[in-house]
Amino acid sequence: MTDNIYTPHLMTIKKVREEAEGIKTFTLEFNEPKLQKSFEYKPGQFGEVTIFGVGEAPISITSSPANKGYIELCVAKVGKVTQAMHQKREGEVIGFRGPYGNAFPFNELAGKDILFVGGGIGLAPLRSLINQMFAEREKFGKITILYGCQTPKRLLFMDEVERWGKQPNSQVLFTVDRADDTWQGNVGVITTLFTQVSFDAAKTYAVVVGPPIMYRFVIAECIKKRLADDHIIVSLERRMECGVGKCGHCQISGIYCCMDGPVFTYAQVKSLKEAV
Amino acid sequence: MNILKLEKSKLSGLLKSWNDDFEVMVPAVENGNLVFGNLGDYEPVLDFNGRPLLPPKEFMFPQIEKTFSFNAADNTKIGIETHLDNTKRVIWGIRPCDLKGIKTLDTIFLSKYVDAYYEARRNNTILMGLNCNEPCNYGFCSSCQSGPFANGDFDILFTDLGSDYLVNIGTKQGEKAVSKSLKLFKTATDADQKKASDIEAASRKAFKNLPAMATAQQRLPQYWDDVLWKQESVNCILCGGCNFVCPTCHCFNIEDVACDKQISTRMRYWDSCQLGGFTQMAAENTRPLQEERLRQRIFHKIVYTPDLYDGALGCTGCGRCIEVCPVEIDITHIIGRIKVK
Amino acid sequence: MQKRILTTCEFCGCGCNFYLGVENERVTAIHPSPSHHVSQGRLCIKGWQGHEYIHSKERLKTPLIKQGNGFREASWDEAYELIISKFNQIKKQSGSDSIAVLASAKCTNEENYLLQKFARTVIGTNNVDHCARLCHASTVAGLATTFGSGAMTNSINEISDAEVIFVIGSNTTEQHPLIASKIIKAVKKGAKLIVADPREIQLAKIADLYMCHRPGSDVALMNGMMNYIIAEGLADEEFIKTRTEGFEEFKNAVADCTPQQASQMSGVPIDDIKRAAKTYAASKKSTIIYSMGITQHTTGVDNVMSCSNLAMLTGNIGKQSTGVNPLRGQNNVQGACDMGALPAVFSGYQAVGVDANRQKFEDAWEVKLPGKGGLTATEMMEHAASGSLKAIYIMGENPMISDPDINHTEKALKTLDFLVVQDIFLTETAKLAHVVLPGVSFAEKDGTFTSTERMVQRVRKAINPIGNSKPDWQIIVELSNKCGYKLNYASPREIMQEIARLTPSYAGISYERLENGGLCWPCPAPDHPGTPVLHKDKFTRAGGLGKFMPIKYKLPAELPDSEYPFVLTTGRIGFHYHTGTMTRKAWALDREIPTGYVEINKNDADRLSIGNNQMIKVSSRRGEISIKSRVVKTIKEGVVFIPFHFAEAAANKLTAANLDPVAKIPEYKVCAVKLERA
Repeated sequence: MTDNIYTPHLMTIKKVREEAEGIKTFTLEFNEPKLQKSFEYKPGQFGEVTIFGVGEAPISITSSPANKGYIELCVAKVGKVTQAMHQKREGEVIGFRGPYGNAFPFNELAGKDILFVGGGIGLAPLRSLINQMFAEREKFGKITILYGCQTPKRLLFMDEVERWGKQPNSQVLFTVDRADDTWQGNVGVITTLFTQVSFDAAKTYAVVVGPPIMYRFVIAECIKKRLADDHIIVSLERRMECGVGKCGHCQISGIYCCMDGPVFTYAQVKSLKEAV
Repeated sequence: MNILKLEKSKLSGLLKSWNDDFEVMVPAVENGNLVFGNLGDYEPVLDFNGRPLLPPKEFMFPQIEKTFSFNAADNTKIGIETHLDNTKRVIWGIRPCDLKGIKTLDTIFLSKYVDAYYEARRNNTILMGLNCNEPCNYGFCSSCQSGPFANGDFDILFTDLGSDYLVNIGTKQGEKAVSKSLKLFKTATDADQKKASDIEAASRKAFKNLPAMATAQQRLPQYWDDVLWKQESVNCILCGGCNFVCPTCHCFNIEDVACDKQISTRMRYWDSCQLGGFTQMAAENTRPLQEERLRQRIFHKIVYTPDLYDGALGCTGCGRCIEVCPVEIDITHIIGRIKVK
Repeated sequence: MQKRILTTCEFCGCGCNFYLGVENERVTAIHPSPSHHVSQGRLCIKGWQGHEYIHSKERLKTPLIKQGNGFREASWDEAYELIISKFNQIKKQSGSDSIAVLASAKCTNEENYLLQKFARTVIGTNNVDHCARLCHASTVAGLATTFGSGAMTNSINEISDAEVIFVIGSNTTEQHPLIASKIIKAVKKGAKLIVADPREIQLAKIADLYMCHRPGSDVALMNGMMNYIIAEGLADEEFIKTRTEGFEEFKNAVADCTPQQASQMSGVPIDDIKRAAKTYAASKKSTIIYSMGITQHTTGVDNVMSCSNLAMLTGNIGKQSTGVNPLRGQNNVQGACDMGALPAVFSGYQAVGVDANRQKFEDAWEVKLPGKGGLTATEMMEHAASGSLKAIYIMGENPMISDPDINHTEKALKTLDFLVVQDIFLTETAKLAHVVLPGVSFAEKDGTFTSTERMVQRVRKAINPIGNSKPDWQIIVELSNKCGYKLNYASPREIMQEIARLTPSYAGISYERLENGGLCWPCPAPDHPGTPVLHKDKFTRAGGLGKFMPIKYKLPAELPDSEYPFVLTTGRIGFHYHTGTMTRKAWALDREIPTGYVEINKNDADRLSIGNNQMIKVSSRRGEISIKSRVVKTIKEGVVFIPFHFAEAAANKLTAANLDPVAKIPEYKVCAVKLERA
């Protein structure tokens, strides 16, 4: 008899931080000390979170493995489970299964210049990769981060984002679709930031995560800037339930997004029917 | 072990002999319907044509299944109880198409991440197949290489020779099952085996209007944008039946059902990729049109499954999806259109 | 280990059968029945996966008595005693007719029979009705007038052999999927399909002719067709002469409704009207299929009688694969009508006003019975609001969502002195009750349902009642006994025996016979095989002749104007069932359509700057709702559609209680609304 892959492991909420309207970051630790020590994950992976009595939802891990002893999940209140999660307080227990999915190709990106493009809550999984890269800064070349949201009120992790911009050989550019009275920066969709950056296409990899509508336009900009198809990395979103390639919901053509993805290169996505 | 022979009259006694240690599921007839019934509750019908509408995948992968119970006594302490079904079962009379179906499900549920619920049931089930001496009403298994005779995927396989069965033992589990009743069997002669061979050839020959599965497998990708998907799906009523009765369909939905303030159970249910909600997310539906869903089902059976699982076709040719469709959407008809172009 | 129990589906009037797989008091599987004549092993998604509500934790498990703004749990005895004392008090003060009873098109025949018996014997009133008032009251009245029998004239399976199928006012694919299955089969065999609907329903996509007529213009459309049939000499003169009466008067009535006139009134091109007429008349296997689109109008009875006229005109009645076929919505709305849960008739449509009928039931029930017809469901609400009706006992109905103008219904129900609701969930109506009694689902009791083709079939108990709930028939028996009127039935089997004794059309029906399958009434004797096709040699009407009715087109009651410029037509969708009490608790159905929406034509939406999936406000003279928009190309410009299943976006807040004068059915299909961005 094998271990049950579907059993949620208990985690206690250590901290809850309101990132923006309807978006919270939860810091979690495993209840089981053995698991607390042994749990490993890579940037780009996700877990299935159980809110007992309500259900399960797939959430990408936003902390990076460089930070030991806890994980962070950034959750938008969009459905039954995430709404219930937003009601949870410090000290309460939730369930977690994972990590699932493939990860960002961390090692393959060594020595390269990285262009991060994050739209809205898409920054959450990117943050995991970005922080891991900054923890091993010498392995990577120039890091450029383009971050856009609908409104200033929706910007996430701003204190960290600003810190990233101050790192050596690193640049951060923000934009919002619609400004408010306080906003001093760029106004416009994220593609408008592309005019403000230049990079060596041969050395550069783009890592793009955002709402479905964003991909088409951002990929077009990357291609305009001469990035090769296999230098453009995306994370696709599908309805996910089991996380282990059995329930069938996340199928994109013949592959399971939860196992062969959610991270893909554009070269893969191009030939994958139904992908984008 | 040798290939054995069993007089037909002795089968009923053999089945009863397993009843002490196993739940024995046999073909039975209920209100004129062929079903699998428990030997204790139903009179077995050992001479029958065709197959039941619902495939025996139900015994390994039930329609509605309790996986866990969660006891949230308070918000900081959660008790988790797992519900595995270790009932020992014998299923007799499984047709080759369904044996193939179970094999496909084994590949999906038991590889990479092992599904503990399927595993528990599967490991405790002995599969006893019965070859088809003639095509059934809707079947086209011979064009899917999954019938009318099985060539594997069984613990024990019976072939109706007339007054006897030819009995092939396929696994150690099968061997163990007959070990206590060996005296009921004789050794099969060469003539017996030849007879079985002839019956298979005759059965194979009797199929009419077989769809060209192999051609379809090759050519389908060219038909991705074809208008046929819209035309063939125009009447679909989104009943999900085609997926529910398919021996290889395995999609399921997980729901946590609250029983009271404290206890909730995690249930899993059969799901259908033909339903709109199957791909629904908060922001969008990644397969919103019926033609896309029909295309997904056909491609999954004929193109993706072979790609994922070493050429094994995802369709076993049992014809149930045709039988169960209220508006007569017919996979063989769709495949026929692939040939024509 | 799993047991399998064969039963009849609890959702629509197709009457499919399937097996409930049961293990440890839980439904764990559904197995279709290939041998069932209608279902043939096929089910819609409600049949396959719509039953999870049975095990919902929100099931009522104990009687409830109103306390403050909520309820407290009570014992059965306490609940019964309170009901009895209140009924007695109200009877004494205001008379028996100040109490009314609403029976249930979802409950079994036995239960409906008992409830109307309770109303008439214990309470002493004919104020009995049920939701058929809201759906097929026009059919019952209309077809009874023209043919003598207000029910589907032919059987479901005959539809597959029809040569011409005229579907008007029925979104068959979604409402009666297994009947749509027969239509599609016929079309595949070469039958011609004519569809008339203000929305381009799924069947329209495979129709030979699709007519998008204005909501409420059905009489105009059909009169135009009939005018043309007569003018072109396509009428079946032999049939008219030998089997009907009233033709001349009818002919005069349609004389000025030429296809051109009809086209002006209905919005359908003249040539299409002519083609529809010609196609329908050309075959001796033409069948008419209709549903709410015909009945739910102030001219509902007229609409139905126009269908009768059309069938008689061409001799397409009383033969195989012909007929006038109203598709009864609920699993047992046909049965509830048959059982006399109606204000003017006992079971079998035996009028309470006819002395001989009343005498028969007085002898059988051993009590004096009231002879004056009672209030219809729609009248009950009016009388409740005005204070002359003091109490209502509702079983298995949810008028707070299903009535027209529910703001008015809410006021009416809140005005009552006493409201008893018997249901399986705390519905919006139950929330207003003084006493709530927990009944059971179809899986927890024995009984029978009568499908739309008049087929009586068994419903079989598969699990025990949940919690402390009781089968509805048992509740009525206990209540009746406590009231002093002794009822002594060991089981529903015996109730059916009584029904058979007193109801000529059910006389040959018994549980023994039903073990071999369903029986179509009229089944007047224990060896009678049942009657799939009505009116074969004679119409059931007194005298045996069908009656042509002269009908002129009348406009709907509330037309759009400058203030409320859109026509709202309400209806159902395939995934949910009526007030959503059951289907919204089944994950597979809830996942498909979790909440309400309003269908708007794209051109209209563009003009109003309304995008897709936006919250907008829809309002009428009765009320307003906030609801999500669904921009489509398949609805007529100027018309919007809202499914009525969703309490939070209740279509019936907008509809009006404009009633057909004879049937008293509300005009759900036409009222005036305006749309605004939220």
